[in-house]
Amino acid sequence: MEQQHSGCRDAEAVLNLQQNSSISIAYHPLFGPNDDLILLELDEKLLSDVLYQRVSLRGQPDEDAVLCTQSKTFAIKFVGTSNSVFLIPPSDHSSFCEIADDCSGKNRNQQSIASVIKVAPGNMELVEVAPRIDKLKLLLSENPYSSEEALEFEDLEEMEKSKAGLYTWNDLVDKVQASDDELRSGLWALSAVELGGYWRIVDERYMGTVLAMLLHNSVLNDWSLDALIEDEVVNVLVSDGFPPILASHCLRVYGSKVDENRSKSCLWKLDEKRVCVHFAREILSSGRRKMESFMEEWQRKIPEGMQASFEILEGEVLTERLGVDLWIRAFSVSSLPANPAERFSILFGERPKWEWKDLQPYIRDLKVPGQSLEGLLLKYTRRTQPTLDAEPVYSAR
Amino acid sequence: MQIRIKCGCGAESCREWAIIELQGFVEVQPSFQDRLQNLVIGELCRPSSQESYTFTVGYHELTGSKVPLKKPLLVLKKVKCMDVDQSCEGSSAGTDLEVVGIIRHRILFNTRPQALISKP
Repeated sequence: MEQQHSGCRDAEAVLNLQQNSSISIAYHPLFGPNDDLILLELDEKLLSDVLYQRVSLRGQPDEDAVLCTQSKTFAIKFVGTSNSVFLIPPSDHSSFCEIADDCSGKNRNQQSIASVIKVAPGNMELVEVAPRIDKLKLLLSENPYSSEEALEFEDLEEMEKSKAGLYTWNDLVDKVQASDDELRSGLWALSAVELGGYWRIVDERYMGTVLAMLLHNSVLNDWSLDALIEDEVVNVLVSDGFPPILASHCLRVYGSKVDENRSKSCLWKLDEKRVCVHFAREILSSGRRKMESFMEEWQRKIPEGMQASFEILEGEVLTERLGVDLWIRAFSVSSLPANPAERFSILFGERPKWEWKDLQPYIRDLKVPGQSLEGLLLKYTRRTQPTLDAEPVYSAR
Repeated sequence: MQIRIKCGCGAESCREWAIIELQGFVEVQPSFQDRLQNLVIGELCRPSSQESYTFTVGYHELTGSKVPLKKPLLVLKKVKCMDVDQSCEGSSAGTDLEVVGIIRHRILFNTRPQALISKP
């Protein structure tokens, strides 16, 4: 074989062994447990993410680590093997090269040798999982931004750095087991806002005050709720004493951008559903109400031009008949955990039996990679159907 | 905390490592137990042009073949982070993982060994 190889320890020699030739397999001078070497099995399509350094492992010391790409989260499982897996590095592998040199001297007979650095007890495997995003809500709920704080620190820069329960983006990446994209959509779902470098959720009552003031101003200034000019809205709200960031945050929470490419200022349209849901929650925050009195107050609170239809409260309220009266109370899907086991346990704690039309709004957002909603229903519920044409009823398994 | 997985080898030129896999264990004679380093385990031979291999260990011969892995294996190495190295920012653990190689094939011996001679 080629002379320049001088027959030294390499994986290539094993992989490219020519016919009618042989190579000695020996223990490497550094053979041992070498626990710092880990084998990770992964999909071909994840390979470039890893090779271009776009992945990281995330988790606290007491959590099982997950591997995150830009958009996905994977659990890491160790798969052991009872076979003897001899691991042979390439010859000029940097960490081992100092030894690679002297072996050519030792093997005077020019015979090729490939060296085994360790016997691998198994390898790591990746399984796509749902991000462990519930912790995000827990962390951000420690210290929500409230009206007191808005008054206390007019200038957000003055916010004390040492304040407990405040988290920057990097703190959240360190603490929450989710990919960057999943973390970002988690923050969006919680209507969180970055204030003075910290991600905060804003107290719902305070957000309500901002919205009420916005609606009030829209009447005063004759603004159309379908075409709110961001700069104008923010300026007026700031003069009413609200921090500018929260003024634009209010537009983001209760509205959507209409016109991206306007050069001067963004145009926003208030979202009927989100505004109406907000007022329903506000009314029910003090407890359950009789249906008629709720509907009456709700219709009255909703801004002119918006339609309060009961269907938009799916996943936000539960109704129940007590005697002759129909009662309504708040029960929001957004307050429930994203983990299916915990979700179903809370749902069946709330009601032992659920009809499909009631249950569906509380589970349709559940996402578990590799498992359908039907699969989750089979796993966590028992389905009964007294007669063929009756509505199926779900109870705890 | 966050542990980055780094790749020093560059995406195109990730070095390939090899695996020789066999069932059961290779037992070392007790007198060599403490000095495995450089000890020859056996002879890997490719007798014909087919992807068929033999592995001779002591008086036993195994027959096997080279098989591609269904999914590649990456070889990761734990590396201690230097404090001064700015690339360590964000990994509070003080450890990073570095990709040092990739494995796409293994030479698998999944049959029972045959004795070459009846007596040593």
